Amino acid sequence: MVEFLNRPILRLILIGIVALPIQTTLLADVKFFGVTTQLMLCLSIAAGVVGGSESGAVAGFIFGLYFDLVLSSPLGMLSLLYGFAGIVGGYAHSRTVGNPRWLNALVVGGVSALATLVQPVLANWVGVEGGINTRLLRVVVIVGVINALASYAVVPLCRWGLAIKRQERLALSGDVFL
Amino acid sequence: MPAYSMSRRRTIAILALTSLLLITLDVQDNFIANGARRFFAFVFEPIQDSARVFTRPVENAWRSFTNYDELEAENRILQDRLDQQEGAFIAALAVVRDAQELLALNGIDNLANISSITAQVVGGTPSNFSQIVEINQGSDRGLRVGMPVVNAAGLVGKVTEVFPKRALVMLATDVRYAIPVQVVNVPESETPTTTTTTTTTTTTTSTTTTTSTTLAPQTTTVPGAATTTAPVAVATIPTIVPTTPSTVAPAPVAAGTTLAPEAFDIDELPVSETGAFRGRGPDRSPVVEFIDQNSRFGEIKVGALVITSGGASSLAPRGIVIGRVTKITERTGIAGAVLEVRMTARLSVLNFVRILLYQPVAAD
Repeated sequence: MVEFLNRPILRLILIGIVALPIQTTLLADVKFFGVTTQLMLCLSIAAGVVGGSESGAVAGFIFGLYFDLVLSSPLGMLSLLYGFAGIVGGYAHSRTVGNPRWLNALVVGGVSALATLVQPVLANWVGVEGGINTRLLRVVVIVGVINALASYAVVPLCRWGLAIKRQERLALSGDVFL
Repeated sequence: MPAYSMSRRRTIAILALTSLLLITLDVQDNFIANGARRFFAFVFEPIQDSARVFTRPVENAWRSFTNYDELEAENRILQDRLDQQEGAFIAALAVVRDAQELLALNGIDNLANISSITAQVVGGTPSNFSQIVEINQGSDRGLRVGMPVVNAAGLVGKVTEVFPKRALVMLATDVRYAIPVQVVNVPESETPTTTTTTTTTTTTTSTTTTTSTTLAPQTTTVPGAATTTAPVAVATIPTIVPTTPSTVAPAPVAAGTTLAPEAFDIDELPVSETGAFRGRGPDRSPVVEFIDQNSRFGEIKVGALVITSGGASSLAPRGIVIGRVTKITERTGIAGAVLEVRMTARLSVLNFVRILLYQPVAAD
């Protein structure tokens, strides 16, 4: 039973249930220069950074779907986008080398900015127009910077969520060398 | 094991395809997607309410930290403005009552006849690409998707999602928001802040009533709070009732009301243009497009009033104030001018709003 409850998928669902109300209440009102922090996106990329592209894809899908269900954007749009953001974040992942925190922050910030830039384009494809304007640049920069800073807290959280132990994280598994 | 195994690729492909399937279902307005949203909203609502208990103090602390100076300055300005408005408001009450009686006598809908529910905005928009707020009233109180939302200053938006005890409101600045409107040129002598001007002119061809922008008091009750009086900005625009030349049709007069139907010169009344109002995001002024240029209307001027036009299929009744024209951009060809509008309602600081329980005739 304990083993079942410790499964990464359940931990990710739990993290999502806690993070979503924070996103829709606290972060919806506490804005930086008029821009809303994207915690769910940050979690998706952080999961990729600590667990690899597959974990990032699964985590991104779950967190994106959560967010889709409370927004009026087309259902599935953010799960697709955040899933791919998790995959891209996973490219920077290395289990065998202890990634420095600044590098994690750089990856999370950069991929967050990229995903934020792609979001209105994707929305345009599915028929939700109007997101592409000059404000987008400001949103991209601010979301990128804030998520980079947030990665210092979110990456360890995702490490717990994916049940990656410290020894396992630093062990020479050799996966990346094949 | 290679970095990209078959199972890894399969997982990613399944997740991507699932997402695409969900998008397709939702775009097609499939009941599965809608049902999933409703079920999740039902489950998530208590969690969100609980979270709000903990996050509210942090939000308040953040606001007090970031907005204190701005609020203090604004408070001083508003206090001055309140003093100025108080006198005008009392005079406006009488004019509004007269206007409403005249509209009722002529069988024309006006906002005072439409029931409304007061709600509090309890959540902002969690996305950077949509302008949606959450209110604390839902279908239990009669709210339906599409109903117009206003506050004391004018139009705020429309209801887009309804749950039993809450609803989502799309603000008028959202890029997906659009509504038919009328643009009314304000007479030269009238300043934008004037709130009570009644113009009557006599002629033998028609009967009209005209007033400018007025503040109609609406007494509403906030659940769990004391009864409040919340004025809403309405514009009673010229209403023309054709009559036969040289005679004035006697209108039925309500008991206890003394009304003398008068005839007015139709050519001296401000006429209006119709167009489509559309939001352009939080940082850009909304615009009015597709103006039907009416030769009698003349040139549209900066400062012209923009109000909802109503109609059988419009989601909002006629006469809700939206704002004033601040910039006119002419376009060549048949495209017509684009009018930038400064909204009277400040959508960035919403607290209490009113939902008009109005459904267009076409929806019945």
